[in-house]
Amino acid sequence: MQIFAYVSLQRALPVIVRQGAKRRAFPWSSRWYSVVPPPRDSKEKEMLHRILRVDHAGEYGASRIYAGQMAVLGRSSTGPLIQEMWDQEKKHLEKFNEILAECRVRPTALLPLWNVAGFLLGASTALLGKEGAMACTVAVEESISEHYNSQIRTLMEQDPERYTELLKVIKEFRDDELEHHDTGLEHDAESVPGYWLLKNAIQIGCKGAIYVSQRV
Amino acid sequence: MAINRLETQGRKRKKTSNMAALFRALRAGRALRGLGSGLAAPAAKPPCVSLKTGFHRTAFILQDESKSSKHSDQDLTAGTTLKDSISNPDAEESSRPNTSYQDQTDEDGEQYESEEQLQARILGAALEFVPQHGWTIEAIATGAETLGLSSASTGMFYNGAGDLVLHFVAQCNSQLAEILAEQHKQVQLGQAEPKKTADFLRDAVETRLRMHIPYIETWPQAMSILLLPHNIPEALKHLSTLVDDIWYHAGDRSTDMNWYRKRAALTGIFNTTELVMLQDSSPDFQDTWLFLDNRIQDAVNMATSVEQVQSTGEAVVQGLMGAALTLKNLTGMNQRR
Repeated sequence: MQIFAYVSLQRALPVIVRQGAKRRAFPWSSRWYSVVPPPRDSKEKEMLHRILRVDHAGEYGASRIYAGQMAVLGRSSTGPLIQEMWDQEKKHLEKFNEILAECRVRPTALLPLWNVAGFLLGASTALLGKEGAMACTVAVEESISEHYNSQIRTLMEQDPERYTELLKVIKEFRDDELEHHDTGLEHDAESVPGYWLLKNAIQIGCKGAIYVSQRV
Repeated sequence: MAINRLETQGRKRKKTSNMAALFRALRAGRALRGLGSGLAAPAAKPPCVSLKTGFHRTAFILQDESKSSKHSDQDLTAGTTLKDSISNPDAEESSRPNTSYQDQTDEDGEQYESEEQLQARILGAALEFVPQHGWTIEAIATGAETLGLSSASTGMFYNGAGDLVLHFVAQCNSQLAEILAEQHKQVQLGQAEPKKTADFLRDAVETRLRMHIPYIETWPQAMSILLLPHNIPEALKHLSTLVDDIWYHAGDRSTDMNWYRKRAALTGIFNTTELVMLQDSSPDFQDTWLFLDNRIQDAVNMATSVEQVQSTGEAVVQGLMGAALTLKNLTGMNQRR
């Protein structure tokens, strides 16, 4: 009887704690660690906010791209694969939502644009078939990994110790994106007609989106 | 006896003239040092700005010391006056080499206040005189004089009255942020109940607007100063930080377009209530707070009706899809062949 109570308490405690944390609307009290250190001056704040804003926009866009791909290819044989990659992007987006709310970062005002553009990009490349969808994945994930790498470089140049937590998060996400990139290559991304053109066009679009999201 | 008095007077005059020459030399030295610090600009500031501040600093020092030297010529215990005026130089880089023997007495850097701190002090003192002089340079000058500084120190404020108004706005915003943080702490400690969003917003906006009450007569002038083109960017920045602070403490953690919608709505409510307050003559501005209540209620109603429209729309779409499927079944189009 006591063992039963103890075990059920063990199971219930995390749920209670989680529910308690959810009910409270004030974030700086419900976590005792912070991924991003509080900025020391306005220059650092500007840099950190730009990084977080564009990362958030990137994950949001990636999530929408996979949604577009699922809308077309959801019921085909590649459906489960795309769903799996989409779930990982959703997890990334959730993490960045948390960080943005905690650090009071303004999300980019172009989110509705990335909403529509991402969905259209995913859907239109999926209409080219499974290879098209994979080619889009490869292009986008390559852009995103490059972008994460340059952010990691920036933060390492500044102060690796200060940003350890943030660097860990970005490195983990970059590794996930590289995994998606490799998955795309494995699943015949390069066999789509006009692969080089499609890939470069998408990458130019991504670069433009990154540039704009940092600022607007 | 008269000759003795004449002699002592002559010796005294010589002493004073020697002292005066010494003070003049020191003044010139300090002026040159101020200029030099402006010229040997630190890497952080662009050279022209520090040159300008260097000039202004030297002008200010000269003005200041011309006042103090007037006293010193008459008073032989001028050493203390001079030391007083030296102990408050607006020196930003305390890493300047201390070549004068007076400066070596100030060993801790806290004796030196930065130019920003001095400006803040003067503007804070100037706020007292706003009901009398309005939001003008005269108020700043009078404020400077109460601090024992020359009224020519208004030359430090390139923006004149705009500096005063922006300083007041920034001060009010930081006071509000402190109050909101304190309230949040109370809620955390369980000593206060968490308020509903609408009530929280209403109380926050009311608290902030009540800070205008001492200056409400001259507030239209202040608002018009804030609307001048060169003041608009900074005024907008203050407004956006104010609205962001209020929403953050109200518990808004949205990271999508709602972030913008909420802040836009609150900005509209705040600005309109501010304008209503200018023309309000009811006791304790009751009409203003009633107006604020109504506007917040409007915003809440708008939000709920948007939600209702969305959910109704979704239900309608589902109903239509169901009807289409039923039709397909009825006409036999849904059979798998």
